[in-house]
Amino acid sequence: MKPETSTNEPVLREHTYDGIQEYDQKLPNWWLFTLYITMVWFVIAWVGYYQFGYGTTDEQQIDAAMARMAEAREKELEKINDDSLWAMAQDPAIVEAGRATYTTTCVACHAADLSAKLGAAPLPGLPLNDPIWKYGGHPTDVMKIIRKGSPDVTKGMIAWDAALGVKRISEVVAFIMSHHKKDAPWTLAPDAPKQADPPK
Amino acid sequence: MSRNSPNLTSLGSINTDGSKRILHPADVHGRFTTARKWFALLLLIIYIALPWIPVNGYPAVFLDVAQRRFHLFGLTLATQDLWVFFFLITGVGFSLFYVTALFGRVWCGWTCPYTIFLEHVFRRVERWIDGDATARRKLDAAPWTASKMIRRVFKHTVFIALAALIAHIFLSYFVSLKGLYEMMHHSPRGHMIAFGTVLFLSAALYFCFSWFREQFCVILCPYGRMQSALTDDHSLIIGYDKKRGEPRGKSSNPDAGDCIDCLRCVHVCPTGIDIRNGLQLECIGCAACIDACSDVMTKLNRKPDLIRYDSDVGFKGEKTRLVRGRTILYTFMMLAGVGAFLFSASRIEPVRANALRMAGQPFYVADGQIRNQFTVRVINKRNEPRTFRLSLSGDKTGSITTTGTETPLVIPALGEEVRPLVLTMPESAYTESLRLVITVTDEASGTSTQTRPIEFTGPDKRIQSNDYLDPKQYLQQ
Repeated sequence: MKPETSTNEPVLREHTYDGIQEYDQKLPNWWLFTLYITMVWFVIAWVGYYQFGYGTTDEQQIDAAMARMAEAREKELEKINDDSLWAMAQDPAIVEAGRATYTTTCVACHAADLSAKLGAAPLPGLPLNDPIWKYGGHPTDVMKIIRKGSPDVTKGMIAWDAALGVKRISEVVAFIMSHHKKDAPWTLAPDAPKQADPPK
Repeated sequence: MSRNSPNLTSLGSINTDGSKRILHPADVHGRFTTARKWFALLLLIIYIALPWIPVNGYPAVFLDVAQRRFHLFGLTLATQDLWVFFFLITGVGFSLFYVTALFGRVWCGWTCPYTIFLEHVFRRVERWIDGDATARRKLDAAPWTASKMIRRVFKHTVFIALAALIAHIFLSYFVSLKGLYEMMHHSPRGHMIAFGTVLFLSAALYFCFSWFREQFCVILCPYGRMQSALTDDHSLIIGYDKKRGEPRGKSSNPDAGDCIDCLRCVHVCPTGIDIRNGLQLECIGCAACIDACSDVMTKLNRKPDLIRYDSDVGFKGEKTRLVRGRTILYTFMMLAGVGAFLFSASRIEPVRANALRMAGQPFYVADGQIRNQFTVRVINKRNEPRTFRLSLSGDKTGSITTTGTETPLVIPALGEEVRPLVLTMPESAYTESLRLVITVTDEASGTSTQTRPIEFTGPDKRIQSNDYLDPKQYLQQ
């Protein structure tokens, strides 16, 4: 323990500020240290971050995170092709998962039996259970329309990529394709745009 | 006394050179100390036990930040309901106003977690390892021998373990004990945020309770400062009866007052003040000096309570008024806050539903039909799966065909589901936009919740040609 000063009261400073006098007392050392720490931190941050560019800005971090997500999505998509989707359509667990998503998301326009009809009344969607396809009948064609939406924006089929993600969309494709045969013939609809793939 | 007694103009816990004076409050016994000990034990048990008590299948208090579900004694709040916390916190804040105006800083001395952990956990451990105040002071001054080293290492090991324990219990309020148990069995790399939080918290608690101690209450704590502004002359504070005590003198001196200047009140003070100088900002209202002084007075066959809980006017011999403008206002504010919280908490619906227009065009026209597409998001805030049915009501629902409402929504406990809803209407029946409401009915209980109104829109009848609405007009360029 440090010895205390002999007098009980701290010393008053001589100078008077508008009639106010101050005691000559020290700030607690720990408090002073917090000031020194900020000074040291200022030097580190100024030299490192602002002069030598160590560390990343918030913008760079967001860009990196977005790039990671895009890369993960690319990787997921790479694995998906017509054959893998046909294989998924044979897997009852995947088809069941696809049905679950379909019944919450797609039935409103395409109907539970994929006929796009409610009784006799037509629903807004295109029928998915017949061998006539407007934008191509390969599983990847169907997947493209679900992910990116209809090329005809007046029809109301929106892009579901952001809402559902690649995994759930591929499950839905598997569910739809489970109503078709891999080698069965299909035709393009009369109003199909020219750029759609002809049937193989 | 070799040590100067504390004064009003400088901090008793800071030396003149700015270094921290390590305070060693002496042991004290008495009714307030005993009461505080049991009360602290109760609060500690509550703190430790809350995550263990299941209410409605969840811990009594479980602030599930990861899932954004907040469980409070069986009440489950979703993120959308967090506004009720505003009333809870203001209610609690006004309660602090109220209690402080009546009883001074009882919060600090009796219930503040910082005081509880410091006085009833860490100081007790220190007392157990290093002995009483005199022994502790002697050990501080002693040279660094092997035995002192061993004691210090032992003491600080126990301190670190206790700090880590408190931090882990704190974490379990946010991740639940099950989550905590799982995290403890895996590498920290899988849960860096939780791990970092506990690491930081443990370090902060260890620093605070092993060294920083009363400095937090005296200099950093905003509640302590705020409470100083909430007391007045009628608030119950801890004070020294100057009329009875002065002039101080030996007990053999017949002219002296009751205070024999033994400094027991100073030695037991955890913030290093002399309460006889009056109410000071350092005083946390712990009542240790009351017990210390009454003990001495009893031994001298004098009346106890020379230092006691009383108000400033009480010490002057006048009557303390409990009912006064300030307490009436604070009572009103506290009741308003608590009432608003109870009212808003009771109004929280177990289901939340909202409907949004789907991305894309506001409406579609095809085959003489106008079509509007919406998504309905239903959140089940109950702890059990529920089945909901959607129905449409509002203007001219007779001519609207709805798809998306045929099958019920089965939503798991605390889950949510998005359901597209397609509304169509013959173009011939459409005259102007319609206001519609979607009702979500819980099949089990029959209770229903409505969404905010949605609008069914279509082409403006006043405009003859709809060509300008066709995006192709603009896209083909």
